[in-house]
Amino acid sequence: MRAHWKTVALAGLGLLASSCKGVDWTRVAQKAGTVAKDSASATKERASCEKLNVEPTVTEEYAIGSAMAIHWVQGAGGLMAPTDGAKGTGVHDLHAYLNVVGKNLGAQSSRPTLEWTFGVLNDDQNFNAVSTPGAYVFVTRKLLSELDNEGQLAGVLAHEIAHVVLKHSIQQYNSAKVSLCKTAVTMEAGFPGSGQLIASTDSGGNLDLDGDSALLGSLTEKVIELAESGNDQEQEYAADQLAARMMISAGYDPNAYLVLLRKTTDSSSLGSRHPKKADREKRLVTFLAGLKPTQGQFAELSLEGLHNPPLKPELVAALKSASRGGVAKDGK
Amino acid sequence: MTMRTRAAWVALMLALGFPSLASAVAVGGSLYVKAKNTRVMESPSPTANAVVILQPGEQVKWEGADAKNKQWHKVKTATGKKGFVFQSNLSTTAPDMELVVEDKGKRKVNPAGFVASGAAVKALSPGAVEYGNKKGGDHKQAVAQLQSLEKKAKGVSTADIAKHVTEAGLFPVVGAEATAKSGASKGKSKGGT
Repeated sequence: MRAHWKTVALAGLGLLASSCKGVDWTRVAQKAGTVAKDSASATKERASCEKLNVEPTVTEEYAIGSAMAIHWVQGAGGLMAPTDGAKGTGVHDLHAYLNVVGKNLGAQSSRPTLEWTFGVLNDDQNFNAVSTPGAYVFVTRKLLSELDNEGQLAGVLAHEIAHVVLKHSIQQYNSAKVSLCKTAVTMEAGFPGSGQLIASTDSGGNLDLDGDSALLGSLTEKVIELAESGNDQEQEYAADQLAARMMISAGYDPNAYLVLLRKTTDSSSLGSRHPKKADREKRLVTFLAGLKPTQGQFAELSLEGLHNPPLKPELVAALKSASRGGVAKDGK
Repeated sequence: MTMRTRAAWVALMLALGFPSLASAVAVGGSLYVKAKNTRVMESPSPTANAVVILQPGEQVKWEGADAKNKQWHKVKTATGKKGFVFQSNLSTTAPDMELVVEDKGKRKVNPAGFVASGAAVKALSPGAVEYGNKKGGDHKQAVAQLQSLEKKAKGVSTADIAKHVTEAGLFPVVGAEATAKSGASKGKSKGGT
């Protein structure tokens, strides 16, 4: 089976790379170089940009996550719509099922109070899953159509939940803040939202993105640019391990996750930083083998009673209907 | 990311309570409630009556595993109530409670009150909606689709999750209700029983 499981925190990579038509940051950087404020004060201001590397507020995280979600959905050709399912099955049921499985895992994560949202991207070409800050998780139709059981579905969702919980994409957001700030203080003319960005270096580093959609747009497009390089190996290993923990917590057999990894292929399009699937599998097997309770101490996980239930027939039926190219006419 | 930036990030995450390695807790020690609607049962079974329902972040005293059903653990709540909790509902480390900005570092949040309040509720943010709609075209359509999806996601309740878990034979972790009432669910979910 030829499939690419591009499980990265933010990047839809090939899915969405061409959709970014906002600020061209390469040109901005080049322009900055030609009109640089050649002064000691500019050097000082650039250094002060590091003050933006702080944990975002929840509202800030929701804003950047929401804008990222809009980008991923737009770039993938939209979400699988209700009319894409067959009569009697429907994507309403498919999306409800996805959210039942996903929210069960999210409620057991270390960020249980986040309002998790799970959706299906209307993409039948790429085996892919993505997530954004603020708890949006998307899987492609292609990926869903190749799953064998609910354990594998839980594995994909848990991996993306893990990236959100571990705040991997927040790292990219903070890098974008600092990077854009350094560009802004170098330019004679700013870019949309650069005023608040610079001012925030003296006010704690958090941003009011809901009050400045121009800055939100600038940051979103920069984060997407950074995200396209994917997560590094340690982030992927950490997400694999946490995903397995969440699966066990919920009662799924983590062997389904290993099967899922084997379905993927190592692709150069994932970037040099992305680990090989053989390394991911080896590390996960080692982790699972080490899950043994210590006498007299509370053990958070045990491997008793785990299994992988079948996928809900509604999901299978809706996907088959969509893959046949048949678009239901609202039941008529 | 430069080495210096990465090092600064790691320090930041550690300072802000980034999920860390689990610490050892022995009998008599404190555990944190991990999952939503965590039920403290009268007996070690998912079909027993719930004595009380706890929320993420609340603490209990661990009194050891049940001798027969080892995935069920005896606990004593902060208010002195005793019962049994399923293993996956408990953690040695505190969950992240997603404080709103006004609360950050200024006051402790009551976990049960926080879950019941609007603070935990998210929607596609106003700034993002404005941004997407201004871009127009496919972006505007994506905004509308996401808002519809969020409505669907919010409609999935803990009761829906509990029902599915029972039908699928998964662990009874997320309870259907946020408050205990007599005559608890008599489903047939697994859980080491």
